[in-house]
Amino acid sequence: MSWNKVAVVGAGLIKMGELFDQSYETMAAGAFNAAVASVDKGFDPAAVEAAFVATQRGTLWGQEGISGNTVPTAIGLAGIACTRIENACPSGSDAFRVGAMAVASGVYDLVLVIGIEKMRDKSTEEGLLSRAASGHPILTRGETAPVLFAPFATRHMHEFGTTREMLASVAVKNHHNGALDPYAHFQDEITIEQVLASPAVCSPLHLLDCCPQTDGAAAVLLAPADRAHEFTDRPVFVAGFGVATDHPYLHEKTSFVGLQATVEAAKRAYAMADVGPNDIDMCEVHDCFTITEILDIEDLGFFEKGKGGIASLDGETSLTGRIPVNTSGGLLAKGHPIGATGIAQLTECWWQLRGDAADRQVPMRNGFALQHNVGGRGSGVSVVNILTTNR
Amino acid sequence: MGTPVTLGAVGVAAPSLRLSAAEVGGAWGRRGGRGVSGVCAPDEDPLTLAAAAGLDALHHAATAPGLIDGLWWGCTRPPFAEGPSHAVLSAALGLNSHAGGALMSGSPHAGIEALLGAADAVAAGTAQRALVIVSDALVPGLGTTFEARCGAGAAALVLSNDPSGPATLSTRVTRSHPLLDRYRGTDELTTRDLYDARLFREEMFLPSVVEVAEHLAPLDVRAWSLPDPDGRLGGVVAKKVGASTTSSADIYATLGDTGAAAALLGAVGAFDVAGIVAIVATGGGRTTGVLVNIGAPVPGAASVAATLAADARSATYPEVLRSRGQLQASGEQIPMGVPPESALFARGADEMLQLLGGKCAECGTINTPPSIHPTCITCGSPKLDPVPLDRHGRVHTFVVNQTMPAPFVAPLPIAVIDLDDGARIMLQVVGDGADLAIDDEVDLVLRRYAHERGVPVYGYKARRVISNRGGQS
Repeated sequence: MSWNKVAVVGAGLIKMGELFDQSYETMAAGAFNAAVASVDKGFDPAAVEAAFVATQRGTLWGQEGISGNTVPTAIGLAGIACTRIENACPSGSDAFRVGAMAVASGVYDLVLVIGIEKMRDKSTEEGLLSRAASGHPILTRGETAPVLFAPFATRHMHEFGTTREMLASVAVKNHHNGALDPYAHFQDEITIEQVLASPAVCSPLHLLDCCPQTDGAAAVLLAPADRAHEFTDRPVFVAGFGVATDHPYLHEKTSFVGLQATVEAAKRAYAMADVGPNDIDMCEVHDCFTITEILDIEDLGFFEKGKGGIASLDGETSLTGRIPVNTSGGLLAKGHPIGATGIAQLTECWWQLRGDAADRQVPMRNGFALQHNVGGRGSGVSVVNILTTNR
Repeated sequence: MGTPVTLGAVGVAAPSLRLSAAEVGGAWGRRGGRGVSGVCAPDEDPLTLAAAAGLDALHHAATAPGLIDGLWWGCTRPPFAEGPSHAVLSAALGLNSHAGGALMSGSPHAGIEALLGAADAVAAGTAQRALVIVSDALVPGLGTTFEARCGAGAAALVLSNDPSGPATLSTRVTRSHPLLDRYRGTDELTTRDLYDARLFREEMFLPSVVEVAEHLAPLDVRAWSLPDPDGRLGGVVAKKVGASTTSSADIYATLGDTGAAAALLGAVGAFDVAGIVAIVATGGGRTTGVLVNIGAPVPGAASVAATLAADARSATYPEVLRSRGQLQASGEQIPMGVPPESALFARGADEMLQLLGGKCAECGTINTPPSIHPTCITCGSPKLDPVPLDRHGRVHTFVVNQTMPAPFVAPLPIAVIDLDDGARIMLQVVGDGADLAIDDEVDLVLRRYAHERGVPVYGYKARRVISNRGGQS
């Protein structure tokens, strides 16, 4: 494939949480400044030529559709090219892909990809839960976010004997990792018993099977690989990416034990990077609910279909496991500020590849890290990005 | 009447909830109270009951909806005070868009008006087959003495000019006096109780009902359906006319006063034995009696009691108030993303009410709903033909949503259903989902999904099939 190699020369995020005291603009500036500060040899903010902004739900804070206009002023760069990318829960990872393509094409050299999401400016009822009344008046009536994933848990349990304990082990592992991540929303360990005893949210999913509503922002700085040495001696490169779609409504799915969009996106990303699942040293995957991580690690090829639950319970995805998954704490513990999520995951991959992940650091044998999101009305959009230290 | 009007089949429907009079009495600090009334669940109303009874009657008549020439519907509380009530019910029943008929309303007398209106159309030859539906769900004033008697239910009859029908409509007699009994003023939500029970009994009810009943009594009546507004007056009338069998008594005891549905609902169970059945209805100052001559058991009549008893469960008083809209959460309600007056409903009305899919001419996949599927989800072909979906299937997977904003009420089960025709659809499930399981057998029934901006939004829900259910509903 003929494209100019792209380097990630800076990455950063703000502490995730319920940031009632910060505006959308403040969060954007915080993430941008963190990314600029992370560049080893320094980075002049004014050198940014173009920005791609991921914000999925502008309706949650009253500025639907204008983020592409808001961000440059917020980060002190009014005048630059700036475009908002919206593609459901993978908005951040897809904005990264678009930013990488902008650099790969040679049109821009220095590109900012930034994700910002205000999840908590509105009440839970008028915010995230209002989804229950959105969409088709019959087909999607009552369809809050867990309704998109809980049917997969019901079916996965039915077909493979996956248990609530196996689901809970994902939350326990990710909260453990989150407790080691200073940027995570939650920084407390939890137990399987606590997950099992937490209130039912959407059976079979309980409260601690679900990610929180989190405000947050994250940013990365991209440059042509040929210019990476101007910014760092430890560059990370874009090895490949893949995007895939599936039908938008749940009743259009043929399988409720896997997400076809993830399978296809992974296939494309692996092909572009010329690697396979066994080459990946660690991954950040979409764990909006515990069942989602189990589906992901199967659909991405790390485990055989149906074995994701037992693998999680057995610790194969822990920091010391065969394939460490969600070392940052994942969406379950670090949080899921939708537009920012993918970019925050990529930041974790960047740290892991560079050996900067402190207590969470896992061994980098092959120098490949994978980042994944899936979302949409029927989880019909998936993005996989693969980063590497190998040029 | 020139052409004889015959009765081909009957159907009935009852709401999901039952409220005991003792439960109501307890709420108001009174002891005792006899009887049980039927109450609509939050997703049921007189239109969903009407649809269920109508389909039950068509099933027993073995008549395709497309063969019905008109729908005559009697109901004091149609879903719109002014709006497409009749058209929505017609579409939900799958009637032809050129079918006629009328919506009778205004008082509990509306039910018998629907029967006579349909009979007149058949006699006149303007309709060969007519569907009569009577349905109601009364909403009483809170704390009134008749509150515990206010019920809900529906009955349906298929009339035709086919002389071989098992039963025939014959004598009718009516009386009209401009008297105020139970009523509901303009813009009032609840029905007012009687001003004075003795005044009603002596000057309004007994004079006209007894006069009409005595007119019919000499004609060898085998069974009676008599109005019983307070739990005693029905018995008084029965005694005066020497009625030995009052088929309506069981209905009043199990469903309460079903308003415009009461007279016919109280009669149809008696249509399974040959002989004459007298039906007397009263309300709004009018009283009418009709005789039905049963020559042979009418299809559907034998399963009336079983159908009315199926799937019912006891409800508490607060649950009933919430179901009737008399107990509402304060604060903001989450509005529908798509307003019910908007274009999506104009495009989607038929496919939602008739439960249509688009069947691919190339690969046979059924795409639902058609309006959002210009191409097949399996093969991409643009050739999709509208087909009615099978209303029976099994649960492939499901959830129970326990966390939702008002106006939703948790727990709300939602299931992915594999229908017998191969279509897959995701719908809400009736009930709380407590014992729902993969592979459960379900049928699809019309329910009210939302009531917003004055507009009831109807669609199908899955309901677990319980093996001993009588008849189709």
